[in-house]
Amino acid sequence: MNWKQWLFGRRELTLALACVAVAVFFQFLSPYFLTTDNLTTILRNSVELLLVSLGITFVLATAGIDIAVGGALGICAIFVGWSVQGDWPLAVVVLIGPAIGTGLGLVSATLVVQGKIPPIIATLGLFGVYRAAIFLLLGGSWISGLPDRLGPAVNTTIAGIPLTAIYILFFYLIGWVVIRWVPLGIAIRATGGNERAARLSGISIGGTKFFVYGFTGLLVGFAACLYVARYRNVETSTGGLIALDAIVASVLGGTSVLGGKANLLGTMFGVLLVRLLQNGFVLIGVPSLWEQVITGALLIGVLILDAWAERRSPNYTRWLATR
Amino acid sequence: MTTAFKQIRFSGLLVLWLIALMVFAVRAPAFFTLANFTSVLQFSTLLALVTLGQTLVILTGGGGIDLSVGGIVSLSGLAIASLIKDGTAAFVAGIAGVVFGGILGSINGFLITRLRLLPLIVTLGTYYAYNGLALALTGGVPISGLPSSFGLLGQDAVLAIPLHTLVLVAPIFLVMLFTLNQTPLGRWIYAVGSNEKAARLVGLPVDAIRLGAYALSGVLAALAGLVADSWLLSARPNIGDNLELLSLTATLLGGTSIFGGSGGFAGSLAAVLFFTSLQAGLQMLNVNSIWQLGLVGMFLIGSVLLDRMIRTAETK
Amino acid sequence: MRRKNRWSACFSAGLMLFTAGIGLAQSKPKVAFVPQIVGIPYFNAMEEGGKDAAEKFGVEFVYTGPTDTNPAEQLRIVNGLIDQGVSAVSLSVLDASSIDPVMKKAKEKGVKIFTSDSDAPKSEREVYVAQARDQDLGYTIIDELAKRIGEQGTIGIVSGEATATNLNTWIGFMQERVKEKYPKITLLQPQFAGGTAQRAFQLATDLMTAHPDLKGLIAVASTTCPGVAQAIETAGKIGKVIGTGYGSPNTVRAYLKSGAFGFSVLWNPRDLGYLTVWAGKQLIDGKPFAESNTVPGLDQPAKYDAATKVLLLGPPTVFTKENVDQYKF
Repeated sequence: MNWKQWLFGRRELTLALACVAVAVFFQFLSPYFLTTDNLTTILRNSVELLLVSLGITFVLATAGIDIAVGGALGICAIFVGWSVQGDWPLAVVVLIGPAIGTGLGLVSATLVVQGKIPPIIATLGLFGVYRAAIFLLLGGSWISGLPDRLGPAVNTTIAGIPLTAIYILFFYLIGWVVIRWVPLGIAIRATGGNERAARLSGISIGGTKFFVYGFTGLLVGFAACLYVARYRNVETSTGGLIALDAIVASVLGGTSVLGGKANLLGTMFGVLLVRLLQNGFVLIGVPSLWEQVITGALLIGVLILDAWAERRSPNYTRWLATR
Repeated sequence: MTTAFKQIRFSGLLVLWLIALMVFAVRAPAFFTLANFTSVLQFSTLLALVTLGQTLVILTGGGGIDLSVGGIVSLSGLAIASLIKDGTAAFVAGIAGVVFGGILGSINGFLITRLRLLPLIVTLGTYYAYNGLALALTGGVPISGLPSSFGLLGQDAVLAIPLHTLVLVAPIFLVMLFTLNQTPLGRWIYAVGSNEKAARLVGLPVDAIRLGAYALSGVLAALAGLVADSWLLSARPNIGDNLELLSLTATLLGGTSIFGGSGGFAGSLAAVLFFTSLQAGLQMLNVNSIWQLGLVGMFLIGSVLLDRMIRTAETK
Repeated sequence: MRRKNRWSACFSAGLMLFTAGIGLAQSKPKVAFVPQIVGIPYFNAMEEGGKDAAEKFGVEFVYTGPTDTNPAEQLRIVNGLIDQGVSAVSLSVLDASSIDPVMKKAKEKGVKIFTSDSDAPKSEREVYVAQARDQDLGYTIIDELAKRIGEQGTIGIVSGEATATNLNTWIGFMQERVKEKYPKITLLQPQFAGGTAQRAFQLATDLMTAHPDLKGLIAVASTTCPGVAQAIETAGKIGKVIGTGYGSPNTVRAYLKSGAFGFSVLWNPRDLGYLTVWAGKQLIDGKPFAESNTVPGLDQPAKYDAATKVLLLGPPTVFTKENVDQYKF
């Protein structure tokens, strides 16, 4: 393989290099960038996006998509918030988020599998329904000033490592093991790669899809818990368009929307890169309004890079041939 | 078979619309006034123009979609407004803005056809880039104080029909509809959308058609920006917000398949009018507009489910 | 009279009374208020106040607004209300430059149109029901903050939407005040968090990292208050960084008590909603505003400035740890 493929062939490597480059750049302009505090902050601020992106990566690997995760996050956050307000036992508070999240994820799965509705339509529709549900549930007032019961869940450090980092590593590890070693993971990639062939070889497409959407829901629910723990406030805009950010991170990380592969490490670096840039810009005084432009430029840049390095998803070439 | 598909979704939409109209007739008779008719048309133009472009892009297949339309509306609107404030004649500024929109759309088209990148991701990138530029370049502050003479297009009405509907939306819609259904180009568009490989083998200029679709989508978005400027006499950097999701929903609701190759402009326009009139009617019933989000989401899912059921029933 | 005739006479009399009753019920004039966005506590409080006033003054109150801060949406809603036949409509203006089309339409139809909470000063609105003067709002928050940090240091601003006219106006006055009166204070350029606590948190934290000697953080827009306050708490900077913002007592109570927020500046949105509906009724009845108007139900008289056509609720209130419990909104 030529040098272009070697250097840019492994997206995680490219992204990791980019992160380093960005870090050096910002450190040069602002001495506060590479401090433990700042880096910990960046990590803590990325937790929800990291979790949701993990789920989205799985969904994308099956050639699906889930635009509704933002709405699902909001709904889970509302229930977590209520349980904290209502002084329910800690076990309930911690479990209610993932439980509802998984439930909502299974709704998406049902529409896609049983209803045979293309994922983009199903989740687009659900997004509208969820947003309406959030409004109705909140009834116009936010859940504010929540007692700090969940605080320790996000703020403690064990031997200098923030607990949040452990959560992320935990889930990503599970994800990695599943994708690489467990038959389910192979099923996921096969479904995305070539659904008909996968079905013919005996893989349960329905079961696989139920898993990815349900798993995403679980992650979303957990992320909602962490959200409530950190911000102690749930408003009608909670969740929002996080789906798009998650898709950006996954694509940056090398996962293709066409399915067939899942680059978890890439996704992680993708999220990190975006957050590093966001943080860095504030530190050097660039107005936060330029962020979106940077994200867009990054995304397009990565795509062009792919094209240039002649590194195409084998799926894409195959997909092209079938059209 | 595909035409039946389209017709079913289309008539499902009409049935829904009829039901809504009946409810309005009973509970909100003010709906059926001329003033409301004008209002509905007034407020539907932006979405109509953008949806026509979106439908075209989706029709040409290949996973075609344009998430950046909102950004193009905002950016072109800003460009036109700043030109006018600098003293350019309104007409010239309008043309410049439209060309600008076409260029923005062509960037999408180029990346997709030349570099063979996926439309969903490319337009997601340009969505961030264009929207972000609109915000960053203006610092969030709208360009206001456009001369009221400029407001002719956006604010005047002839015989209760807004000028921009008469002069822009209607002719554009008719031309596009005609082209799609009665000309070879229209047939080519359907061909490219339903089977790209076959289309290429037969010698159709697939890439050129798709590039053209994205460019035209940009042009239509810029026109929407022009209308918005003229109507509000100011250009806001976030005027295009939400238009991408709404135009996508309208297109799908109107019967166009997300995979391309089937559907059409008539359904899309009907869906747009359905949305806007539903909004107006719900508001008269004092129903919070949040219900609309939920209802539309359910309609979308419902209409596709209905399709599936009828299809499975047909093949049995 | 024969029996059948008697019954039909009673029936028609009843019917007439019934329709007269409906007619009378419908003849209650409608006063509408369109907020910038529905679903946030601030405007909900205004709605409460409006409803109370409607009951007291014998009008019907219509409250409806966009689900996100979209000026075109707001226009559409106001437009629809005019079509529906409300007698007076007020709105909290999202975009001052785009309000003219509906102004024209309202005048044509004889509907009284006016603004409340956020103004379009160059338009032909009948009156602007102001919570406090924009200038006072901007100045007060700077003055109070300056008092607490010793009139020198760096202050950061976290605002909501970059496109919200009223927020930008207040920021403008803040900048003006600092330039005139506090040369030793550096006011940073505003950062925009959109509508979420998460973004506000992120930006506030990053600002504190970028400027370790930051003395104050201003959360402009009630939606950014929780995020900013939480950021100060989580960063352990209570006491080192004084947080403040335009937040309602309920939203900021916990943070005032913990010390993350030194104080908060606001007014009573309920009273504002109340005054808005009262003003609507006055306009419908054609009664002009006096220089000082005593409004039954409000504690303080509302001052009216004929030159700028502004009806003022009163001076801004400063909420602190000490007095926050007196207020329930």
